[in-house]
Amino acid sequence: MKYKILKIIFIFFLLTQKTFALVSVDITRGNLDPLPIAISNFYLDTTITENIKKLSIENKIPELIQNNLTRSGLFFALEKKSFIQKPDIAHNRPRFEDWAFIKSQVLVTGKISLEKEGRLKVEFKLWDIVSATELSALAFYTSPDNWRRVSHLISDKIYERLTGEKGYFDSRIIYVAETGPKVDRKKRLAVMDQDGYGVKYLTLGNELVLTPRFSPTSQFVTYMSYYKNLPRVYLLNIETGIQDLVGDFPGMTFAPRFSPDGKKIIMSFAQDGNSDIYTMDIKTRIVEKLTDHPSIDTSPSYSPDGLQIAFNSDRSGFQQIYIMKSDGSNVKRISFGEGLYGTPVWSPRGDLIAFTKLYKNKFYIGVMRSDGSGERLLTENYYQEAPSWAPNGRVLIFYRETPSDVTGKGGGAKLWSIDLTGYNERLILTETDASDPSWSGLLSVK
Amino acid sequence: MQKSLKISFIAHFIILTISSITLPFLMGRVQAPLVISVDLVQIGDRTNIPYAPKVSDGEKTDKKIKDRVVTEQAPPKIVPKEKPDAVPLPENIKKIKELLEKRQNPVKVEDLTKQTSEFEKKEIFDPNKISALIDKSKKDNSEANNKPSLEATQSQQKNVVTSKLTITQEDAIKAQIFKCWNIPIGLPYNENLTVRIKIKLNPDGSLVSSEILDQARMNTAGQTYYKILAESALRAVKLCNPLKVPSTDYEKWKEMQLNFDAKEMLKG
Amino acid sequence: MLLNKLNKIILALTVTLFLGACATQQKATTTPTDDAYTGTETVKYLADGVPDRVFFATNKSDLTSAASATLAKQAAYLKANPNLNVVLEGHADERGTREYNLALGERRATAAKNYLISNGIAANRIKVISYGKEKPANPASNALAWSQNRRAVTVKTN
Repeated sequence: MKYKILKIIFIFFLLTQKTFALVSVDITRGNLDPLPIAISNFYLDTTITENIKKLSIENKIPELIQNNLTRSGLFFALEKKSFIQKPDIAHNRPRFEDWAFIKSQVLVTGKISLEKEGRLKVEFKLWDIVSATELSALAFYTSPDNWRRVSHLISDKIYERLTGEKGYFDSRIIYVAETGPKVDRKKRLAVMDQDGYGVKYLTLGNELVLTPRFSPTSQFVTYMSYYKNLPRVYLLNIETGIQDLVGDFPGMTFAPRFSPDGKKIIMSFAQDGNSDIYTMDIKTRIVEKLTDHPSIDTSPSYSPDGLQIAFNSDRSGFQQIYIMKSDGSNVKRISFGEGLYGTPVWSPRGDLIAFTKLYKNKFYIGVMRSDGSGERLLTENYYQEAPSWAPNGRVLIFYRETPSDVTGKGGGAKLWSIDLTGYNERLILTETDASDPSWSGLLSVK
Repeated sequence: MQKSLKISFIAHFIILTISSITLPFLMGRVQAPLVISVDLVQIGDRTNIPYAPKVSDGEKTDKKIKDRVVTEQAPPKIVPKEKPDAVPLPENIKKIKELLEKRQNPVKVEDLTKQTSEFEKKEIFDPNKISALIDKSKKDNSEANNKPSLEATQSQQKNVVTSKLTITQEDAIKAQIFKCWNIPIGLPYNENLTVRIKIKLNPDGSLVSSEILDQARMNTAGQTYYKILAESALRAVKLCNPLKVPSTDYEKWKEMQLNFDAKEMLKG
Repeated sequence: MLLNKLNKIILALTVTLFLGACATQQKATTTPTDDAYTGTETVKYLADGVPDRVFFATNKSDLTSAASATLAKQAAYLKANPNLNVVLEGHADERGTREYNLALGERRATAAKNYLISNGIAANRIKVISYGKEKPANPASNALAWSQNRRAVTVKTN
C-alpha cells in the first residue's frame, strides 16, 4: 500500500515536472538587415549556339535579378568574386558549406538551354543554404531577346518565395519626360521597364502632356494633353498607338484615372472657376457627376474594390483629403494633420492611401489608413509629389524637383522610389528629367 | 485499508497544495536574486564553449541587457495582446523628423552597407561546424517525423510554461538569437504569426535538434507567411549554433521552446 | 568648456529658429493675401498703360485691389477695341501639387474673366485656359518668382 502511495506521489511529481520542464523564450526581436543572398551566374548547357553565347545572358540575367532584389531593400547580394562553386555544379546540388562560408543564407542558381524552334529555356533554383534545402525551382520558355522579361519574372518568384508577398519587377512605369528650359518645358509621354530600361517615347512633345496613368491591364493609358490648346483627358492604347479624346467637356478636364475594372475614367472637370469630379464610361460615354461643390475637387482615386473614391478638396478652405462612396455620397474628410494634403492614391492592397503633404514649406510623401488614421510620412524634400504604388503595395514611386537658381538653372525633376518602411529610397535613372510616374500592374497578370 | 486510503488522500492533498502554492513560489525565490547585468556577459565568458558563435561587441550586448533588466524587475508578465489592426505609427512629429533625417541623410546608406560588411567580418567561421550542422539537421527531420513530441504542443502557452531560466540567462539566449534572425521584412505586421520551435541542446550549447511545433501549419494552403517566418526562424536557430550557454543548470536549458514573433519589429 | 559653449550656441540657434518659425507662420495666418506681387517686372502691356496680368496671393484666387485696378484698365481697353478677343491664362506657383494647381489656375483666370464681364465685356469674347504651374514667367525657386508666377494673363487672340 505504502508503495502504491509512493508511486502515486512519484508520478505526480513526474507530471508536474513535465509541465514545468520546457523553458520558453520569446524571440520578439531580430535584425532587419537585408537577407544575404548569393546569385550565382547561370550556366549555358551544350545546346546553346554561338549566337546566343554572344548575348552573355548567363551573366546578364543574374545581374538583372540582383539589381531588382537589391533595389527592393530586402536583400543584400553577396560579391560574385567570393563564390567558390561553379555555376553548373551549384545548380545541380550546391555544397551548402561553400555558400554558408561566405555568409549567404539563400542561393539562386540557373541553367539556360535551347529548345526546339530556337526557344530559350531558363531554369532557376532557389536554395536555403542554412537549412540545406531547395526552396523552389522553375523554368521559363521564351525567345532569346526576351531575356530581360524572364529575369524580372524570376526576380518576382524569388521575392514572393522569400517574403510571402507578390513581387513587382515584371512591371512598367509611364511618366512625363521633360526637356528644355523651365519657362518652356517640352513634355512627352514615355514608358519604360520598372528598372528604367527600354524607354519608349509615346508622344512627340508638340503639345504639353501631363499625368499619364495605366489602366488595370496596363494596355491603356489615360492622360491630359493640351492638344490644339484645349486641355483635355485622352485615352491611349499603347499597343496600337491609337489616341482617343474622352474628356470632351466644355472646359478643362484633368486628373484622370481608371476605375479598378478599367471600364470608367474618373477625372476633374473645371468650369467657371469650379472643379468637380466626374466619371465617364469608356464604352457608352455616359457621364456621371460625383461631386457638386463650389470648391476645387480633384485628384480622384478609386479604392481597389471600386466602392470608394479618395480625392482632394479645398472645401474646408485648404486642400485636404476626402473619401466618398463611388456614387458620390457620404463625403468624409480624412486628413486632419497640420498642413495641406493632396494627390491621394489608394494602395492596391486597399489598406493605405498614399498622399503628398505640404507643411511649413516642405513636401512629404506619406501614407495613412483609409479612415485617415495612422499618418506616416516617408520622405521629406524641397518639392515632391504624385506617389504611385507598385503592384504589390510595398513601394511608391514619385517625382522630386530640385530648386532652380535665379536664372532658372539647377531645377529638374527625377523619379524616386521609396518603400513603406521609409528607409529604402532610390533614384530611378531616366535619360531625361521625369515627372508624374505611374506604375503598371504586373504584366504577367492580364 | 480505510486508514491507508485516508493517508493516501491526505498525502495527495498535501502534495497538491504544496505544489500548486509553494512550488511556483519556491521557484520564484530561486530566481529572486537578480543578477546584475554586467554579470551576464561574464556568465557567457566563463562557460567553456570551444567557440563562441558570434563574437559580439560586448558594449552593445551590455547596454541592451542593462536596458532590459531595468525594465524587467519582475518576472516577465503576459503582455496583453495587441489588436491585430493596431496602428504602427510614430506618435509624435519629433520622432518622424528624426526618422526623416535619418532617411534623408545619404550617409545613412553608406552606414548600412558598412554595417553589413562589418557584420560579416566579425563572425568567426568554421566550415566544419556547418557540415556538422547539416548532418544534425538531417537527423532532426527524421526525429521530428518519428516521434512528434507530446510534452510541448502548441497549447503550451507561455503563461503555463514558467521559465526556469533567470532573466539574465534568458536574455543571453535572446540576445544571441536576435542577431542571428533575419526577419523577413515583407511579412504583414497586422497578422498574428508566432512560430514555436523546440530546440534540444548539448551541454556545450551545440544544437541536437530543432523542430517546428506546428509543423502542420507549414504546409497548409494560405499559410505562406507562417511558412516563411518559420523558415527564417529555423535559419536563425541554425545560424546561432552553437549557442553560448550558461556553464551550469544544463537540466534547465537542455530543451527550450523558442517563440518567434516578428510583429513588434515589423511595426516599428 | 568648449562643449559647454557649443551647447549654448546650439540652444541659442534653436531658440532663434523656433522664433523665426513662429514669425513666418504668424505672417502666413494673419495676412494671407499680402504676398501677391505688386511690382512691374515680367509685366507686359496690352496697350500703353494697360498691364496684361494680375497677381494673386498663395493659394488664393480673390482679386486684390491692385488686380481689380488692372482689370478695370483692361476692360476699358477691350471696350475701346470691340473686335478684340482675349484668352485669360491662369497660372500657379511651383509650390503645389500639379493637379490642384491646374484647378487653381482655372479659378484665377475665371476670377479675372468675371471681373471683365462685370465691367461690361461680353462673355463670348473671353476664353479661359489654365496652365497650372507648367509655364512659369520667372523660373527661379524663390518667393519673388513664385509671386510673379501666381498670375492671370490676358492674351489677345486676334
